[in-house]
Amino acid sequence: MTLLEQVGRSATGYAEDAGALTIQFWTVFRKLPRVLPIVGKRRRWRSAVQQMFAIGASALPMAGIMSLCTGFILALQGASELRRFGALQYVVDLVAVGFTRELGPLITALAVSGRSASAISAEIGTMVVTEEVDAVRVMGLDPVEFILAPKYLAALITLPCLTVLSTLCGIFAGYIFLAFSIEMTLRVYVHAVAESILLRDITFTLVKSVVFATIIVHVGCLEGLRVRGGPEAVGLSTTAAVVKSTFLVILADLAATAIFYLMGWSAAA
Amino acid sequence: MTGDPPSIPDPAISIRDVSMSYGSRRVLDRVGLDVHRGEILVLLGGSGSGKTTLLKHVLGLTKPDSGSIRINGVDITSCSPSELAAVRRRIGVAFQAGALFNSLSVEDNVALPLQELTRLADSTIKLMVWMKLKAVGLSDAVGLYPPELSGGMRKRAAVARAMALDPELLIFDEPSAGLDPIVSAGVDELILFLKRTFRMTILVVTHELESAFHIADRVAMLHQGRLIAVGTKEQFSATDHPRLRQFLDRQPDPVAGEFAGAITSQLRKVRI
Repeated sequence: MTLLEQVGRSATGYAEDAGALTIQFWTVFRKLPRVLPIVGKRRRWRSAVQQMFAIGASALPMAGIMSLCTGFILALQGASELRRFGALQYVVDLVAVGFTRELGPLITALAVSGRSASAISAEIGTMVVTEEVDAVRVMGLDPVEFILAPKYLAALITLPCLTVLSTLCGIFAGYIFLAFSIEMTLRVYVHAVAESILLRDITFTLVKSVVFATIIVHVGCLEGLRVRGGPEAVGLSTTAAVVKSTFLVILADLAATAIFYLMGWSAAA
Repeated sequence: MTGDPPSIPDPAISIRDVSMSYGSRRVLDRVGLDVHRGEILVLLGGSGSGKTTLLKHVLGLTKPDSGSIRINGVDITSCSPSELAAVRRRIGVAFQAGALFNSLSVEDNVALPLQELTRLADSTIKLMVWMKLKAVGLSDAVGLYPPELSGGMRKRAAVARAMALDPELLIFDEPSAGLDPIVSAGVDELILFLKRTFRMTILVVTHELESAFHIADRVAMLHQGRLIAVGTKEQFSATDHPRLRQFLDRQPDPVAGEFAGAITSQLRKVRI
């Protein structure tokens, strides 16, 4: 194969990925209302709640501990520099702003992408292999509404919640550090954090986490549906799901942060 | 031999000139076949004969390149999605591995089509589910989950789910695949029982000769994408068609050795 052929082939591969993601995006979003409570079908909502436990609640310990550790690392690294200028109290700003704007949503998204993008693609991939997806279609049900939509709704609701909780964990890690190093009280710490964070930062975080949730569930479902052949294809698809969703999360993070920066929304007041 | 028996009007499934290719490989070549009401038609074929592809076409999961497939008079290759859904409601399908939903109990699996597609009360659904499970001999496995079932039980549960909406047409994909001879014979009896009791039209896709001749009213044989024979069991056993003879006598292919070899090795795998 010539170089040109290789470039062309991988380019059409990416284009196909992008096209498939776009088509799947719109088909699922049109069906989302059917999953909502009250206006939608009761059974779909119930399966969405099940998914919320699988995607959200059970990821909480992992995301929380990851944030706690990262918060502590950030405080340690920041302190070693800031101490030289006698500005240890700025560790508060570093941790609080760093987590609300950036690390909270990112670390949560990475934790969930490792756990759930793979789980989703494995589950759907297995359903494809065992003809369960065919069975859904032959029964006259819509696989998009029946299988995909509850997962989307679950991810879109739980990831922002997880992000808030893990951000709190990260910020709390900063307090632990300061309480031990300069005996700062919790009241002072909370006050300092409240002063350094803007409402805009929190909105920014939530917007980001919704984008990340979409990417994770989206890539997981697509890779699962693409499984053809036997069980070994399921293994490949789970790997692809984790790799692609992690990559896209970081890419989207860069894009979102750049947009916010260029629009001047991220400048401190 | 390929001619249909005296034509009965309005067949349940009528396949006409269906062709399908993957790339340059012809998987189905102008296949034409009728399944009459109330009969058990067994579609025989070796690995790679195109029988699975034909089945997917009949279920409307894939569309042929050309030709038409009418189920109860509706051409499912060209009808609207809502018409297709209406046709599918009158078909029950028992997939090869059961295709039961692992997250639901046996009872909920059978109840699913009723809950989703009818407005029946929960108590009515419960009763209907129990009746279906009783019919397939699984009434004591109500609360079990699919991974806890044996191969034969899973197949029975799949049949119960396929019958949930009281279909006129039941389709079986490889009903004896992966089962030992005794359990497999049990599934054959179940198929005959369903035909006798509910007067269903049944289409069975398989490569199992013995089971095919035991349950079939008529047998059709696919080979390399072509329908090479359709007829009653007696016509089949008396045939002098070389390909058919070879398949029935389980002789390996002298030239290529792949066709019959693949089938016999598969048969052996299943038998052990």
